[in-house]
Amino acid sequence: MNELFDIFSLFGFQFFQNALIGGTIAALACAWVGLFLILRKEAMIGDGIAHTAFGGIAIGLFFGVNPILTALLVSILAVLGISYMRQKGLAQSDSAIAVMLALGFSIGLIIISLAGGFNVELLSFLFGSILTIDQVDLIIVSILGVSTILVLGIFYKELLSITFDEESARLTGIPVRSISLAFNLLVAITIVLSIKVIGVILVVALLVLPGLSALQLNLSFKRTTLVAIVIGVLSMVTGVLLSAIFNVATSGVIVFAAVGIFLFTALYRRLE
Amino acid sequence: MQDNTNLDLMQEKISILEVSNLTVERAGSVVIENANFSIHKGDYVGIVGPNGGGKTSLLLALLNILPKKEGSIRLFGQEIESFSNWEKVAYVPQHATNFDSQFPLSVRELVSLGRITRNNLGKTLKRSDIEAVDQSLEFMGITEIADKRIGQLSGGQKQRVFVAKALVRNPEIILLDEPIGGVDAKTQEKFFKKLSDLNIKKGITILLVTHDLTAVFCRMSKVICMNRFVNVTELNGDVEPEEVLRKAYGEHFHFVFHDHKCERVFEDE
Repeated sequence: MNELFDIFSLFGFQFFQNALIGGTIAALACAWVGLFLILRKEAMIGDGIAHTAFGGIAIGLFFGVNPILTALLVSILAVLGISYMRQKGLAQSDSAIAVMLALGFSIGLIIISLAGGFNVELLSFLFGSILTIDQVDLIIVSILGVSTILVLGIFYKELLSITFDEESARLTGIPVRSISLAFNLLVAITIVLSIKVIGVILVVALLVLPGLSALQLNLSFKRTTLVAIVIGVLSMVTGVLLSAIFNVATSGVIVFAAVGIFLFTALYRRLE
Repeated sequence: MQDNTNLDLMQEKISILEVSNLTVERAGSVVIENANFSIHKGDYVGIVGPNGGGKTSLLLALLNILPKKEGSIRLFGQEIESFSNWEKVAYVPQHATNFDSQFPLSVRELVSLGRITRNNLGKTLKRSDIEAVDQSLEFMGITEIADKRIGQLSGGQKQRVFVAKALVRNPEIILLDEPIGGVDAKTQEKFFKKLSDLNIKKGITILLVTHDLTAVFCRMSKVICMNRFVNVTELNGDVEPEEVLRKAYGEHFHFVFHDHKCERVFEDE
């Protein structure tokens, strides 16, 4: 009973409120963007950009700038680089992602060695530290998250059309190249806003698992989107609460919650 | 031999598509050479020819997806490069029905995608769009499967759904690239019947790439027979199918045509 009381008392703390608000925004954006990534068969672009962002974080820490902002800048450059390589035929999508991933991570490693090593702050970006989200972080996460959700909401049907059949979408007058580029920028933004929540290493789980779970249920696109978002937010809240109860790493528990829901939906599909 | 002769006589011969001296290259090889033909409003045109004969390339060139090397394509009186009124044109690609069966899309959602135009980018679909979707579903006889996932549909249902998606734009011309692969003869027959309805009842001009030669000679008003070179023939009672088809399929081609087949097509209607 006392433990339950302790959990409820956590809601009164600013850091816990920040964690839940920031985490919910990140989970929502990740689930929505991630569903499109899965359907476009580009899930690994999430992992690639997240690792590239690591270089941006190192740059931020090295120069004393907010690492989320430098990570955002580097991630956007990575997205533009991947698009350029694909358009010019320099590399296929997966190879272009691999190049950017390696480049971003290498930049991070070089800067770490130049700085003579960083403190635990770098680890917090690698593995996430949702409970240390401060007011500034929350404002940045909220602006980025709400902007992403708004843009996705506005261009939802065009993005769906491109995802389903690019050639037909082009013929209906949809500016396929511009919207695809805008979507990739949203992927970069979503990843960066989630880094503080779940970390560079595990952000791909928040992108992929909710959508993958929702896809097991054989629903329409609208319902699949809504279910993916609910699963993403549910994984996040469950992870934050369970990690507080058991005093273990939050990002790990969030991923475990998401994997648990995925296994449950996969089992449901087999039994259906 | 075709079922819209009267329609042609009733309608003024308005030219929708004019192709002059068209040459198209793909991967460095000429796939269409010096093509010249016109398509008029209400035409129901079959595009036939051997595999690799340039049928798909012709459709892609007419849609300005594949750039032409030489010549001119005029769509609704405008050069294809400057043509912007794509709302009038609908296209059902060859691969349309070969989508990922796990894609989470209902029939209604897919047909709704056909209502997206340059003018409503970033806007939610209006009531009039939703009504157009309902009408299109109804015309194609698929209202009862509107909420079904597209991955659960049979081959015949998929065809109808993709035509409904094309139709929902209220186009004046529909281009279809072999949409009848992998379905049984009866389903094909029903599909051609629906296309005839579209052509006759709605006056929509249809260009259809197909290997079903019987359907072409029984139902259509014009045949484009191609194997790099394009031969266009108006289908009236005097046309000998074998003579037409040999131009594309070669001298060794032998076409077995059963007269009763055409009669059966009309009986079904």
